[in-house]
Amino acid sequence: MSDTPAPQFRPANFRPVTTESPLTRWLLIASVVVVLSVLLFAPLIVVFAEALKDGVIEALASLGNRDARSAVLLTLMVTALALPLNAVFGVAAAWLITKFDFRGKAFLITLIDLPFSVSPVVAGLCLVLLFGTNSLFGGWMVAQGYPIIFAVPGIILATLFVTFPFVARELIPVMIEQGKVEEEAALTLGAGGWRVFFTVTLPNIRWALLYGVLLCNARAMGEFGAVAVVSGKIRGQTATMPITIEMLYNEYLSVAAFTMAALLALLALVTLVLKTLLEWRYADQLAATHRH
Amino acid sequence: MSRPLINRSPMPGLGLSVGVTLTMLSLVVLLPIGALLMKGASFGLPEVWAVVNTERTWAALFLSFRISLYAALFNLVFGIVLAWVLVRYDFPGRRIIDAAVDLPFALPTAVAGIALTTLYAPNGFFGQFAKELGFRIAYTQWGILIALIFVGLPFVTRTVQPVIEEIEREVEEASATLGASRAYTLRRVILPMLAPAALTGFALALARSVGEYGSVIFIAGNIPLKTEIAPLLIVIRLEEFDYNGAASIGISMLAISFFMLLVINAVQIFSRRRIGHV
Amino acid sequence: MQIEIDEISKEFGATAALRPVSLSIPSGALVALLGPSGSGKTTLLRILGGLEFPNSGRVLFDGVDATGLTVQERRAGFVFQSYALFRHMTVFENIAYGLRARPRKSRPPEAEISRRVTKLLELIQLPDIGARYPTQLSGGQRQRVALARALAIEPRMLLLDEPFGALDARVRKELRQGLREIHDSTGLTTVFVTHDQDEAMELADLVVVMSMGQIEQIGRPADIRARPATQFVRDFISA
Repeated sequence: MSDTPAPQFRPANFRPVTTESPLTRWLLIASVVVVLSVLLFAPLIVVFAEALKDGVIEALASLGNRDARSAVLLTLMVTALALPLNAVFGVAAAWLITKFDFRGKAFLITLIDLPFSVSPVVAGLCLVLLFGTNSLFGGWMVAQGYPIIFAVPGIILATLFVTFPFVARELIPVMIEQGKVEEEAALTLGAGGWRVFFTVTLPNIRWALLYGVLLCNARAMGEFGAVAVVSGKIRGQTATMPITIEMLYNEYLSVAAFTMAALLALLALVTLVLKTLLEWRYADQLAATHRH
Repeated sequence: MSRPLINRSPMPGLGLSVGVTLTMLSLVVLLPIGALLMKGASFGLPEVWAVVNTERTWAALFLSFRISLYAALFNLVFGIVLAWVLVRYDFPGRRIIDAAVDLPFALPTAVAGIALTTLYAPNGFFGQFAKELGFRIAYTQWGILIALIFVGLPFVTRTVQPVIEEIEREVEEASATLGASRAYTLRRVILPMLAPAALTGFALALARSVGEYGSVIFIAGNIPLKTEIAPLLIVIRLEEFDYNGAASIGISMLAISFFMLLVINAVQIFSRRRIGHV
Repeated sequence: MQIEIDEISKEFGATAALRPVSLSIPSGALVALLGPSGSGKTTLLRILGGLEFPNSGRVLFDGVDATGLTVQERRAGFVFQSYALFRHMTVFENIAYGLRARPRKSRPPEAEISRRVTKLLELIQLPDIGARYPTQLSGGQRQRVALARALAIEPRMLLLDEPFGALDARVRKELRQGLREIHDSTGLTTVFVTHDQDEAMELADLVVVMSMGQIEQIGRPADIRARPATQFVRDFISA
């Protein structure tokens, strides 16, 4: 141990070889912050600013009428029906794809991913063509008194379509990574199929499942294009929250439109917070792309 | 040597998972898409072409594709920069920005649409500056571009980020010991490593933008031949009860999506063969 | 080239990776830095290559202070433990990389680059693998390609970090001989890091035994074996 500290010196041109110059770094960070402020943060702020333009009371009052309440209830109901259906499908598809070896697996995965590359409006159009009054099946259903298009079942189907891949996409990579040894071990110990699923598989995939459901939920509550086509936009009956926002906005009821938008924006923020928490806390149990 | 359709396996639940998967897939996705294709088939290919081959439809399809391409190109470059900054640099607010990147995924498109319109309209917060400079953003193609950049923003960043995390520092150091400048290393070593993931993200952003409706219709102005996007034209045809017309445009958009899916897969297979992973 | 390490110290945060160490490496020598993990041997190698900067002390190449030189300016042929081959480039492109990365005025013409790469492929006795990608090579082949890539820039010295670490025993023996031959034919001052005392003793002219950021002993293999300077050296070489 020497009494005087060793002289500290480093030439100006030295920096770790795996990084950029401070100036480049500063410029890149600044450009990222500017672009994100203009494109992401400003729209988020403006939603709340416009909603509260005339004060909190005015904003809350705009939600007080029957149509607004009905829109919120309809959105909640559609989501409550679409989410479990999608979760069951996602688990079943991921189980099929990761636990069995069969021909055409890649093709099946492509089919499951298909809704991601189809325009929501085209999705809605497809449903109208299949179930609308003009179609064979749709006409018959209307005659029986159960219309699908311009009614709630159509909205549910449209929501299912656009959120279709979310849960499966999240589960498949996780379940591939985990392999099937644990399930095989449980089988050799005499456990039955459901027991293996609930005591071995489900605990292993629960956070990934929650993650998928979370993303699914955000999209389900906010879906606009596909729902706009099939809903018929009947106030108080088939107008979901996003549809109501459009109608209010087009009627120049700015505070009402932005207040409802603020509700959905809050939901988006909560989704992001929960998602980030899941990524921090359970990174090892999520698909590899979310680990950062 | 033919492989059996399904290899025998002791795993339980084959019947149930096949049943649930195929039922849901058929009911929710395949039957509806089939209905669209059937509609096209019964209408007749020449008739479908006749609908697409009108000035207004062409303009709408071309507009959707062209502006989506610009938006995806912007997002390709910006997404790589953003991913790099988020993985490699440490600065205050990094975690918040990282979380906020997914906002376009989480924020409903209608909400984004009216918010962007309010900001970029001639009397809006950003729009007024443009107005002073003598041009308009909202209700022009610039407005569509902004909305499409917004919806496609997370794709490239989220596909590229894990790849940047995986890059071994030794590879960059090796490049430096061989005499390469930092810029040369970034261009010749880092960028090619990111390219497959970046292209995948680019194609995903493009596919999403071409079909985007909610965030665009508020800001676009929707003037036929100028700012009318293809999905809006489908909605207009449906409102006129012109199912054949709507189906024709829908089929052409489906064809575009299908083509882009093929490209994504080709890129992934190509890069997997070359560097052993995507 | 003669290398002089003068009172080099390096700290990572609160932990000292190198307490001041000094070492003189004669021109043309084949030197092993031997020690357990955490002994500071890799840090010392990286300081020589310009990948780390010391907290104090100087590095001299042929008597000239090289402490402030950047990695690029040092022209040290560095072989990494993981080999760090560029996966998206062929073997040929990997070896040509350092020549193509030069600024235009000092860059050799393509024909010259091609000639040199071919010669290096012959030197490492793998003349036919130029068109392959690193993922298509065996571990031993990758190591030799990494060596050729480092040699392509006409380095002033050769620095190797655990060059045989990732290989199985048989290939390791073979490649030791290969490194010896390449060293003898190029005459380059060569420093390699290893935790394997057999490897150090068999291959090196001079062995530097390190522990806890300090040099325990410097000497020829036979001297170290015959007269270990400290208890640590005695235990380590008999292990």
